[in-house]
Amino acid sequence: MPANEETKGKDVFGDFATLVVPEEHTKSTLNIFMIYMGVLAVVAAIFAGSGLAQMYDAATMLKVAFIGNLILAIYGGLIAYVGGSTRANTYMILRYPLGRLGSLIGNLIVSAIPLVVWFAVETWLFGLTVNVIYPDNPLTSIAAASIWGGLLMMVTAYYGFRAMAILSYITVPFWYTLVVIGFFASVDLAGGFDKVWAARPEVIAPLGVGITYVVGLYASGSVITSDVARYGKKPWSGAIAWAVHVTIFMTALLFAGGVMTLLTNSPNVIVAIAQIGLGVGALLLAILGQWTTNDNNLWSAALAWINTTGKLNKRVWVVILGVIGTLIAGLWAGLWGMSLEPFINFAVYLGYFIPPVGAVIIADYYVFRPLVLGLKDPKERYKFGPGTKYPLVNVPGVVAVAAGGAIAWYTQQIGWGAPVINGIVSAFVVYLALIVLMEKLGISWGVGEWVESSTGF
Amino acid sequence: MIGMANGSIKGKALAYVLVMLLLAAITVVIGLLIKDITYRGYYLTLTLGGIVLFTSVIYAISIKLKSSEDVKGIATSAIQALWVSTSMGLGYIVTANAPYFQIPQAYAIALFAIGWVMLLFGLYSLLKLSKESGVPLAV
Repeated sequence: MPANEETKGKDVFGDFATLVVPEEHTKSTLNIFMIYMGVLAVVAAIFAGSGLAQMYDAATMLKVAFIGNLILAIYGGLIAYVGGSTRANTYMILRYPLGRLGSLIGNLIVSAIPLVVWFAVETWLFGLTVNVIYPDNPLTSIAAASIWGGLLMMVTAYYGFRAMAILSYITVPFWYTLVVIGFFASVDLAGGFDKVWAARPEVIAPLGVGITYVVGLYASGSVITSDVARYGKKPWSGAIAWAVHVTIFMTALLFAGGVMTLLTNSPNVIVAIAQIGLGVGALLLAILGQWTTNDNNLWSAALAWINTTGKLNKRVWVVILGVIGTLIAGLWAGLWGMSLEPFINFAVYLGYFIPPVGAVIIADYYVFRPLVLGLKDPKERYKFGPGTKYPLVNVPGVVAVAAGGAIAWYTQQIGWGAPVINGIVSAFVVYLALIVLMEKLGISWGVGEWVESSTGF
Repeated sequence: MIGMANGSIKGKALAYVLVMLLLAAITVVIGLLIKDITYRGYYLTLTLGGIVLFTSVIYAISIKLKSSEDVKGIATSAIQALWVSTSMGLGYIVTANAPYFQIPQAYAIALFAIGWVMLLFGLYSLLKLSKESGVPLAV
């Protein structure tokens, strides 16, 4: 089997969509950190804080957000390390725990379909926000703003990782500083921090409820951390960047949104910033924040489609998916005023199966391969390159994801425990129980064989 | 010749970062001048200017300590520092004239102008350094 470093293949799809990232294309830890920060720099992250404000006072919110994000840091960090160590994206990594055909299904569930839906939703939200700030201009109608917003977001995804990084470098410091300014201004106008510490909802929820809520917010995003982490100079670059950004900055954004909700009943930092006379700032906050998040959605979706079909290059996929998403946002929702609920419901349903995919990656890479197959060297556990053989289907992997997703969905319906965590734990346990048993009994857990071509497909 | 070129990169990188440091220092001084008129404006300059000052000092020291031969390392540090300063320049452009901060007009115009200088000078120096050192902007 060829080693990652020896075989590079031909990058016919762009951005090493089906190949290991070569050493000379790796980036600093700061670069990776900025990309993650750009993805997080979205107003929806602040809005999510309002969910915590309905359950806790400010001090408890901070504690709950921190613990929840610490869990996400470990979960996403472990997955990011797999990407950093192998320099492969999520969809390539899935070839091992799910098998080659299984990974095609995994790609559709994890990114290819839901990220296009979220791209459309975010683009529509962008149009809505721009329209709230500047309501009386044809160019800022929801439909028009969704369309030019969608096109903007396609530009950086079209040019790829480097363009997204440049946008993040100029945006991230400005965006977070402006959010901090907006936050302090709204606290200032609402009566200061004395009011923050005194404010509380009528009923305080148990800590576990809030922690589950926080984990659920970003559990799906944690699964695709390898898409960015694979560019890390060091194997741990992505894991560290992910852990720091989610533990510190996600916590801060949730806290900011929560406090603003406690004080003003609205987490809308954009409106708060517009109210203090920063109309241009609010607009830039909306544009840049949504842009740095949504170009990543589109880019990851394009990578997933390439790994699913083996056809067309990254730029073509970005245009196809971007146009679909923009039309859904601009025409379906913006112009015709039709609800995005059916799309969102479908993406949410798929979302039950995403965290279990991460659990199977972790179980396979950190437990099964080193402890059962004896592959102690992290770089030896997953290999890629032309000629590499993969099982068509890794049966325990596919069963574990299906079981984990079904358990997450069912426990959500009956209101038992923490559905996201139930799904992750179930998939982890089912995968290891099945694959270890089959390996020990000499039963083949991989069905069929797929040989990687020179294009990496 | 190569040594001279390397020395010139180090000199340029330091100069670019120090210009940003100087501009940030001016904004902080403006903040101190308006402290008694508007605490909001004062905190604004302390935040934006402080971030640039802190970043510039740290990176200037890092560049100073690097060997002139380490062109890539020098350019990487300078580009990282300049991204932060440039982004904060955008911050001044957006915030200086906002009514909430109650900054007297003359000072607000000065901060607004400095913001533009930081943004344009930042973009120029980033492109220049990237081109001369071969270090990508997305460092």
